[in-house]
Amino acid sequence: MQTRTLVSPTRLHRPGAKAAYWIVLGAVIVLFTLVFIGPLYWMVTGGLKTAQETAQAPPTWWPAHPDPGNYATAWSQLSLGRLLANTVLYAAGALAFQLVFDVAAAYALSKLRPVLGNVVLAAMIGTLMIPATVLIVPQYLTVLDLPILHANLLNTPWAIWLPSVTNAFNIFLLKRFFDAVPEELLAAGAIDGAGPIRTLWSIVLPISRPILGVVSIFAVTNVWKDFLWPLLAEADPARQPLNVGIYSLSQNVPQNILIAALAIAAAPTVVIFLIFQRNIMSGLAAGSLKG
Amino acid sequence: MTVTAAPRRSQRSTRSGQIRVPRYGRGVRRNLTGWLLLAGGVLCFLLFSWYPMIREFVLSVQQTRFGETSFVGLANYQRVIDDPAFWQAWRNTAEFTGLALLLGFALPFLIAVVLNEFRHAQGYLRVLVYLPVMLPPASALLLFKYAYDPGDGLFNSILSTFGLPTSQWLQSTTMAMPSLVLASTWMNMGSAVLIYLAALQSIPGELYEAAEIDGARLFRRFWHVTVPQCRLVLSLMLMLQVISTMQMFIEAFLLANGSGPEGATTTVVYLIYQHAFNLNDLGGASALGVLLLLVLAAFAAVYVRLDRPRG
Amino acid sequence: MNSQFRRALAVALAACAGAAGLAGCGSSDNGSSNGKVTISVDCQPPKSNKTDRDAWNADVAAFQKLHPNITIKSVDKFPCEEPASFTAQLRGGTEADVFYAYATDTEQVLDSGQVADITPYVTDKTVPGLSDLDKTTLNVGRRNGKLYSLPRTNYAMGLVINRKLFKQAGLDPDQPPTTWAEVAKDAKQITEKVGHGVAGYADYSAGNNGGWHFTAEMYAQGGQVVTADGKKADFNNANGRAILTRLHEMRYTDDSMGAKQNLAWADLLKLASAGKVGMYVGAPDTIKAIHENFKGDYADFGMGPMPGETGPAPATLGGGDQYFFKKTDTPAQIRAGIAWLAYEELTPGKGQFDYARGKRIGQTVGQPEPQLFTGDTEAKIEKLRADNATVPVDNYASFREHPVPFKVEPPNAQAIYKVLDTAMSAVLTNRNADVGKLLATAEQQVNQVLAATG
Repeated sequence: MQTRTLVSPTRLHRPGAKAAYWIVLGAVIVLFTLVFIGPLYWMVTGGLKTAQETAQAPPTWWPAHPDPGNYATAWSQLSLGRLLANTVLYAAGALAFQLVFDVAAAYALSKLRPVLGNVVLAAMIGTLMIPATVLIVPQYLTVLDLPILHANLLNTPWAIWLPSVTNAFNIFLLKRFFDAVPEELLAAGAIDGAGPIRTLWSIVLPISRPILGVVSIFAVTNVWKDFLWPLLAEADPARQPLNVGIYSLSQNVPQNILIAALAIAAAPTVVIFLIFQRNIMSGLAAGSLKG
Repeated sequence: MTVTAAPRRSQRSTRSGQIRVPRYGRGVRRNLTGWLLLAGGVLCFLLFSWYPMIREFVLSVQQTRFGETSFVGLANYQRVIDDPAFWQAWRNTAEFTGLALLLGFALPFLIAVVLNEFRHAQGYLRVLVYLPVMLPPASALLLFKYAYDPGDGLFNSILSTFGLPTSQWLQSTTMAMPSLVLASTWMNMGSAVLIYLAALQSIPGELYEAAEIDGARLFRRFWHVTVPQCRLVLSLMLMLQVISTMQMFIEAFLLANGSGPEGATTTVVYLIYQHAFNLNDLGGASALGVLLLLVLAAFAAVYVRLDRPRG
Repeated sequence: MNSQFRRALAVALAACAGAAGLAGCGSSDNGSSNGKVTISVDCQPPKSNKTDRDAWNADVAAFQKLHPNITIKSVDKFPCEEPASFTAQLRGGTEADVFYAYATDTEQVLDSGQVADITPYVTDKTVPGLSDLDKTTLNVGRRNGKLYSLPRTNYAMGLVINRKLFKQAGLDPDQPPTTWAEVAKDAKQITEKVGHGVAGYADYSAGNNGGWHFTAEMYAQGGQVVTADGKKADFNNANGRAILTRLHEMRYTDDSMGAKQNLAWADLLKLASAGKVGMYVGAPDTIKAIHENFKGDYADFGMGPMPGETGPAPATLGGGDQYFFKKTDTPAQIRAGIAWLAYEELTPGKGQFDYARGKRIGQTVGQPEPQLFTGDTEAKIEKLRADNATVPVDNYASFREHPVPFKVEPPNAQAIYKVLDTAMSAVLTNRNADVGKLLATAEQQVNQVLAATG
């Protein structure tokens, strides 16, 4: 990318400026590597230490007696496979529900504007400022005993999936995007006799790829990072997502096994990210919230 | 083409999206289709957002003893407000939010501005910044907890190697909150940096050139070109940041066993959690929830007022 | 209907189906047809703990052989009580027919209105060891003369020591300190002699554990945290000051408590199992956790009685866990449940006291816990324990030889502990902590808690 930025290119070509540029760049590279890779190095090597060594002061830079057995123990104690499977199940379901329900709702609010639509929109956007955590108690009681149906959703994926739909921010993003879709496009479809749903499917969605990408990333990240809600709603150890499982584990294994477990838990996403970093980065950039 | 829906009075600018083009047959059908599409979302909002909100108010004026639920008026509010921990929790939450704005809001923007100047290694640096976002938060935080060890943990070792003063980190009432913010920023900063970078790259270069011709120096160019151009993104991120920091829970829970030294990390959300799931006091927890709701609503009102769109 | 509608309808239907297709929990049948009874019972050991689980399953099979008309449905839970889901089940009435709870949660369970009164069903006939059952333990589940629960285990706190560190510091591990002055002296010696960042003594100050230990230490002073009528705080006095001042001095004057503070339950035990803690207040079950979870070695740990001002303490904090019966249980189910508990939890040589089997399959045998009984029954259990011990019993000699009567936790224990956590945390993390002020503030808060719950 060679666009003009804050510092002018002419200045960069002055004598001395070049050197300054390289020095700053070098310093930033070193600093970032230390700050962002350092902890990961320390986590991976920490997982090889004995329990005594992890509690040792000052900490050692390299394990005195590296013991890969810690990783084996951590692997079996963590049941990582099950925790990951749970997390994937919750994230995939939350993503599917949000893509279907939130897109449908945003489209209806943007283009069909049925009666009372603005009231619904206002009520949805109103919850934007209200973090889910504030409603944790009544939400918990609701999931425990669903009104009318009297089902108990605790320890089922529904307890994660359905509340995830109430993502006002995603609806807001989608609606803003649909608002910007030129009316002429839709009109063209309507002339061909396409109804609103077909228009959504064959005209609006294909051009909404970037925003759908962003919404998807948000949806998955929310499930991935959520802690308090799954801690309460999926209390059964066999149903916990990874984030909560790690915490449970921290309560009953020695420190060195725990550090190995932290490294194991971090590995899948870090590896996936490094492999697909180009696509992920461009996806994030494409849907960046341009005004 | 008949129109049955009431004409909308929109105060906003009429962008193309605001013009109603009722091309889909009769209004009844459009309404029906619209509502059918809305049904799923509205149902979920009803069950998991709007109804709980009403229920929060109801629960906050009730008490359950021996299986009997009774109306107790504002007793729950009285009780939670009388608790010294209540004011402390608000102070802590405000402190966390303020620090997070300094660190978690301003820092990523500055990093993005700096990265945007580089012609080399930008990809590598972006990947680095985004790496922590990929970790499960519990992994990152438990690692930080270990590094913050006041005895001679990683951070203190590094500091003493360079002859710098060490800290008690999570065990000092003054440093506990900043420690939480630091860990939180490290693990969450990546997304913000990427969003800012995308915004920075869409600023037309001519603007800088024009400013330069006017004789604006580097800092003035930053202040008069960069910041205004990113205004929308910045304001949106600011709102998201405040909302997310207001509900900080996991950081305190994992790093400081919840309340921290002398309660220095007890946040309002942690207090809600304690009342509900530790002290078996749903009434008190709901009263706290309602109060937090009101504070956030006030904040939202102020935000909307200040954030009038241009023109 | 054109395709437009159909498709929109499909979306809407999917939404409804999603909501309606949610599997409601099958209502448990109170299946007591033709004399056959089925009961669900909490707290079957988890799959990850194969040894204990197999033992439990074998007991269920043996019990069902004895009582062909009773079927036990085991509910596997780990931990047996997880506060959030426990609260949820009480709200929703979804707990097992015979459900598990900590002693601390008795108020909460009774408040929920979810429990059956089992007074008429508990007799010498249905619970053979009833007359020997420890009264304090049994009374945990008694309110206004009515009995609601039967105990499963109990614990009493003492002083846990790391024998290895004692030896390294030149102290005699068979003579753990019995007064607080000795504790302070020995802790200082351990820290100075052993070095390597070892804390001579450690204590809790987070996750409500701080208040819990403050309460235990208050009992050890001969005091209490709440007045006998349960109306007022009773720790802002010489006893409370003694505890906090002592801790503050050990932390800052002697520097014998290490730098790591704000410890919650697992934090301290992790440090102890890594050999970084010389002594801490705790019950025998902490040593079990150190061994089973944190991979410490039984041989390294021993116990003495709870220290007091002039010798072993006049009282120590005790607690435990218990089984309640759900309100909706039929009389037949309650009878079946009591028969099961009597068999599994309260018979020497059977169930949890089947120490011969325990030794055979590699369970931990020999810890002086639980001590549910007195008199002949307890003697029988002690003998079985000694005969089948898998842990060095002598390490607990000092604890056993100075039995300290235990006192149960105060009402609203968790709320009180939460308040006292702050005071504990202050004296352990703040060099300039003001003990008098801390106690006064805590007293005011505890009085509020007590007034609010009346």
